[in-house]
Amino acid sequence: MRTRALPPSLALLFLSAGLADAQLRSVEVRSPRPFGVFLGDLVEAQVDILADPGFSLQRASLPQPGPVTYWLDLRTIALDETASGAVRRVRLRLTYQAFYAALDARTLEVPGFAVTLASPSAGGVSTATVQVPGWSLGVSPLREVQPQRREDPAEYLRPDGRGERIASRPLFAGAAGLGALAIVAALATAHDRAWGPFRRRRGRPFAAALRALRRQRAPDPDQAYRGALLALHRGLDQADGRRVLAEDLGAFLDRHAAFREQAAGLRRFFEASRLAFFGGRIAEARATWPRAEAEAVLTRLAAAERRA
Amino acid sequence: MNDLGPGDRVLTDWRAAAARFEAEVAKAIVGQERAIRLVTIAVFARGHVMLEGDVGVGKTTLLRAVARALGGGYERVEGTVDMMPTDLIYHTDLGPDGRPRIDPGPVLARAEDLSVFFFNEINRARPQVHALLLRLMAERSVQAFGRTYAFPNLQVFADRNRVEREETFELPAAARDRFLMEIGLDAPRDPTVRRALVFDPRFHDTDRLVAEVAEGVLDHHRIGGIAGMIQHAVRAEPAIEAYVVALWEALVRPAEAGIRLPGLDTAALVQGGASPRGVAFLVRAARVRAWLEGRDWLGPEDVRAVFPEVMAHRVFLEPVHEMRRDEIVPALCRAVFETVPAP
Repeated sequence: MRTRALPPSLALLFLSAGLADAQLRSVEVRSPRPFGVFLGDLVEAQVDILADPGFSLQRASLPQPGPVTYWLDLRTIALDETASGAVRRVRLRLTYQAFYAALDARTLEVPGFAVTLASPSAGGVSTATVQVPGWSLGVSPLREVQPQRREDPAEYLRPDGRGERIASRPLFAGAAGLGALAIVAALATAHDRAWGPFRRRRGRPFAAALRALRRQRAPDPDQAYRGALLALHRGLDQADGRRVLAEDLGAFLDRHAAFREQAAGLRRFFEASRLAFFGGRIAEARATWPRAEAEAVLTRLAAAERRA
Repeated sequence: MNDLGPGDRVLTDWRAAAARFEAEVAKAIVGQERAIRLVTIAVFARGHVMLEGDVGVGKTTLLRAVARALGGGYERVEGTVDMMPTDLIYHTDLGPDGRPRIDPGPVLARAEDLSVFFFNEINRARPQVHALLLRLMAERSVQAFGRTYAFPNLQVFADRNRVEREETFELPAAARDRFLMEIGLDAPRDPTVRRALVFDPRFHDTDRLVAEVAEGVLDHHRIGGIAGMIQHAVRAEPAIEAYVVALWEALVRPAEAGIRLPGLDTAALVQGGASPRGVAFLVRAARVRAWLEGRDWLGPEDVRAVFPEVMAHRVFLEPVHEMRRDEIVPALCRAVFETVPAP
């Protein structure tokens, strides 16, 4: 394929000099670059044999992969036979590997070989031997390429392989879609983790407790007093995210330094609350720590909460 | 806050005695203040105690110190696979005159004076032995030699190694329910206490260590009466009654109480347990704690202080979670207290 893509002018053309048999039309050896070969390079060659229809190559006559000369190995050989019109085309793709350690640029002769074409007919099989000519190969040391002389220096240059043009529109569309998806996912994550704009404002449990306390309108003073204590209890519970008992007050103040100034008030509140709820002495509790005190402590706690 | 009236002089004196008792036991056991406090509560609640813990953390030393400070008869048996109930009641041997004799076993040796019966490695004994122990704990009496022996002052302490599972017999739920508390004993975490335990030769000879504990700090004959007085003297207001019932409800039906535990479906977590007897034990222990704190009324802190030890072993989880109960039940108890409002 690669060779076929080359302009014919760049291919080396060897026409067989003496086509003894009329069945054989031409033998052509092409090599994409018969010069500048370094030690160990793979050298591709393509042999096109045009023959009369009916003839086909005898596979057994093909050269075997292996050493050709002391400096050249045949690595692979591939056969491709096609009939194009009234001509039978046999194409051999040969891959050589050069092992010549060149000290200067020089031309070496790649030996030719013979293959046999055969055409079965009613009277038997007629065969024709085709001599594939040798061709020369310019080997080089690592520097100083020595190509064969050309009239036009431009002929030394090979055109660049043309890459397929990539359609960018679907890629841009995909990138935009995925980008939008990423933004949605980031927003969802931020909402889940309460980052940035989704960060909820800390609740104001003491402010809510104060409102609840002021809303209470219980006719029974004992009941009103219990309600006030409960409001303060719920505020503390909400602020800490757990139930705060009297013995937890120290730990609560350690966790919430903002309320530390209210330690004395809270301590007296817990004493009063325990007396009222569990000690069965609500009257004594009301006397030592009246409802107004509860409201005052809550007001101060709500203020501390706003500052925090 | 001393809320005891002048008529409760006896209880005040006994509270001082209880403090002396704790101080004496603490001479032998360092870094286990909580365990000592719980054992003291159990003594005054007349409840049996199971100690759980690794080997060598001081379970036996603690119980020996408690028995010595408590006074009265003290007997101790080691649970083994081949132990039979009769081994506790009597043993047979040949006397010096060559004739067979039957002597009372550990349970009967001190007869009615027995105040502390210490069953070491209780889960190594067979279920037959557990059955006898069940009667001993529940009724404080045994039937032997054609008569009934009663042990009015008896308190059973048992310990159980929580690491080994081979050749052990899990206690039946009925037997576990009769223990007032299961106290987990861990090695102290405080580095100075740990250093002292390892390097101070005083802690190497447990016999001498236990001998330092004053004998008979409490008059064990009278503890039963005092325990009854405490239960009557410490008041429970309606608020605390509602609180305890709410705790009970939340423990048995955590999902309905709004308890969420990470990685667990609380609706399918607890199978049952938490018997009425267990909750009654809880209140009994909490009342003793309130009395030790110098109050004549029960507060939520008293309930919380004894809750894990009294209630944790009475909760039965669904079988899938049972293997992880050591982490699930404490988390559940914590969550219950963080959820149920008091008052």
